[in-house]
Amino acid sequence: MYTRKNQRNLTRREKRRFVDALLEHKRSGRYDEYVTMHGRFFSTDIGDGLRVAHMTPSFLPWHRKFLLEFERELQEIDPKVSLPYWDWTKDDTADSSLWQDDLLGGNGRNGDLQVMTGPFAYSSGNWTINEGVTDAPYLTRNFGRPTDPVSLPSRKELEWAIDDPTYDVAPWDSTVQTGFRNKFEGWTRSEKEGFHNHNRVHLWVGGHMTGGTSPNDPVFWLHHAFIDLVWSRWQERHPRGTYEPKRRLPEDDPQHGKVVSLTEPMPPWDVSPAELRNHRRSYRYE
Amino acid sequence: MKHRRRDEPVLLARRGVLRAAAAAAFVVGGGAALAPFTFAGSPGDEPAATDTFEEVYRGRHIRITPKRTAAVGEPPVEVLIDGRPLHVMRRADGTYLSIANHYASFASPRDTARAAVDAIGTAQLSLSTAHHH
Repeated sequence: MYTRKNQRNLTRREKRRFVDALLEHKRSGRYDEYVTMHGRFFSTDIGDGLRVAHMTPSFLPWHRKFLLEFERELQEIDPKVSLPYWDWTKDDTADSSLWQDDLLGGNGRNGDLQVMTGPFAYSSGNWTINEGVTDAPYLTRNFGRPTDPVSLPSRKELEWAIDDPTYDVAPWDSTVQTGFRNKFEGWTRSEKEGFHNHNRVHLWVGGHMTGGTSPNDPVFWLHHAFIDLVWSRWQERHPRGTYEPKRRLPEDDPQHGKVVSLTEPMPPWDVSPAELRNHRRSYRYE
Repeated sequence: MKHRRRDEPVLLARRGVLRAAAAAAFVVGGGAALAPFTFAGSPGDEPAATDTFEEVYRGRHIRITPKRTAAVGEPPVEVLIDGRPLHVMRRADGTYLSIANHYASFASPRDTARAAVDAIGTAQLSLSTAHHH
């Protein structure tokens, strides 16, 4: 069992190893497969298909598995590497440690929003965007979304989600107003209300993180490692809480065939939310 | 907490005010005023939109055209930014999102197009990035 650390506690050596593993994974062509996979699995809650990664109860176990698969590939490159997490309730400025040149590099510049510093700047020669929303070969960020400013979620907002003892409720989509999952995933009824927690962090970073090719920015992994940690925190807070829906939805349920219940497998893997309930078989969080 | 790049002047950008100032809508064809369509409420409620909407927003050309048919879950509009298609989707609450904005949704295709312009900087939409559901 290995440890996922808070990015602010990584040693210089650990940062170097993590960055090097990412660059090698990218160089080999495997990184972009994760970008396209994530895009392929984005579907909204209109329509008849199975929705497994977003706007759905399996948002959390799907991303847990997605991260585990990615992390294992990094560990094939360097067995000492693990995914760090970013606690954005604490490290909430453009100058925070993760945005320094020895880890993710900093904000994008004015105009084209291009990241110019750190190992993932296009100008470094080691990080070309091949699967982007635009033609641009460079990574982009736009902290705080200056055209319509947003802030990172506060500790209070996160607690509001964790405090809910129910995991999720019908109709199990982006419109539910109670339950931990959607308060945490962050869909609301309108842009006027803003979007919460997980979603808002994507908006705050901006650039690639705002769109359908968000894993192009390696901060995606640090963000989702924290999302994963918070799921554990919810489980600890509510020992009798459980993933919902527990049983397969009946045929007359409008969401039948569209969401995954506790013991049903999640594509593209053959693993159920139940099997991913406890991460302590694989890793712990410091 | 507000985050600005150090070289940017302090701007209190209020949504709507900034966008209205930046958008320069112009009339296409005859002299009739364009009615940009917005869909509120549930899918299926929207009026049949027959007009094309065009504007230049922050230097980018937006064109929204109604389509007669669309795949399930896709709104019946074509949105182009500088002539390139923006993949637009719909949520169960009737709002819209796009490939450029996957973590927020908007009241109308026009707002969605403007938000995409805000998100993509100065680059052009890719013609080749496949987006499957």
